[in-house]
Amino acid sequence: MERATQLQSDEQRIDDMFAIAEHRDQAALARLFDHYVPKVRAFCLAKQPGANLMADDIAQEVMIRIWNKAHTYKQESASLNTWVFTLARNARIDYLRKNSRHQSNIDPEYLWQNVVDENADPFKDAQQKKDQERIQQGLDKLPADQKQVLAKVYLEGKTHKEAAEELSLPLGTIKSRVRLALHKLTIYVKR
Amino acid sequence: MTNYHPSIEMLTDYAAGSLPLAHSLCVSTHLEHCHECQQQIRKLEMLGSHLFDQTPVEERQLSSLKDSFFDTLMKQPKVETHVKQSHIEKNTPHWDEYKIPSSLRQFITKSYDDLTWMRLSPSFKIATLYNEDGGAQIALTRVKAGAHMPTHTHTGDEITLVLEGAFSDESGVYRQGDFINRDASHKHKPIVTKDAECICLTVLDAPIEFTGWFTRLLNPIIRRYHPHSHA
Repeated sequence: MERATQLQSDEQRIDDMFAIAEHRDQAALARLFDHYVPKVRAFCLAKQPGANLMADDIAQEVMIRIWNKAHTYKQESASLNTWVFTLARNARIDYLRKNSRHQSNIDPEYLWQNVVDENADPFKDAQQKKDQERIQQGLDKLPADQKQVLAKVYLEGKTHKEAAEELSLPLGTIKSRVRLALHKLTIYVKR
Repeated sequence: MTNYHPSIEMLTDYAAGSLPLAHSLCVSTHLEHCHECQQQIRKLEMLGSHLFDQTPVEERQLSSLKDSFFDTLMKQPKVETHVKQSHIEKNTPHWDEYKIPSSLRQFITKSYDDLTWMRLSPSFKIATLYNEDGGAQIALTRVKAGAHMPTHTHTGDEITLVLEGAFSDESGVYRQGDFINRDASHKHKPIVTKDAECICLTVLDAPIEFTGWFTRLLNPIIRRYHPHSHA
């Protein structure tokens, strides 16, 4: 039942995206704001606890990007959640780059633009959904220690090395936890 | 088809956005050549989105943030959404020119030839793209067909990405798109294949050291061009 309502609201949000892209619907944007802003803020606070101003700035930036880029969103290449996650990730990188002690002139805008898979594939949508399901279900079953490391890397924005230092564990242990997790989620296949 | 890829740890850090920008630049350039790693990134981003979706949110009134957001939105100038794209399309290379990867277009607007190349030997040139403040040196190296690159070790990590041509060393042959990550313990002597010149993107965490008796003379020059040495 809960899953069904979630799917329904996912669809509602996709409709909102189209409403923004096609007729600049502000009410649709307001609904997306209510859903995503708390998540983006939490994502930023995970990286820098207590930095509420930063979280507000980045959340607003993400919403502006949603508004400006809604027409570029393609449902067949990524779910809306994935798309918004990449916007939040990039906005956070950009914010930190401009506001850190060591400013970098490397523009992140150029570094994540081409990851979109352009190959036309009629089964892509189905494959996409299957991967999505597998990852979500797998994630729920992961042992706590593996999930903890993934959260450090993804949400707190730590590298493997930093995660190792913070948890006072050898780098090898961190690496193998991540590999095990990715293996279970069928993301990592040994070449 | 590339044979040498970034490690899964590096791909994960890249997808998560925790990888340093200089390293992300190399991963991004590799992805332009590697469908396999693109697929992996796609899944790693899906994983990221689930973790993102599950982050516990704090109860907080966001109505004033929302008001100020809509105020800003109304004030922003009409966006030109297609600027970047058309800029890229205009740069489609002539048939006899190298194609510049999109990740590098922020540093190279026209062609490799327009960069300022510093000649370190008759067959070996280097062009600095960017020195990060307190960080890495990002450069291109350009070596003539069939030439040896000077024997060197690294004082820090080095990532090399083959942009054009191919080279080989004791461990293998590296072609376009290949991603080679070497740490400080490596001492290697690469040779460029005979058919064409070789252009590589290199990111150094610390300056390389030449170990040949003659090329050792280059060390002070190399160090001068690396940001760490200005300390």
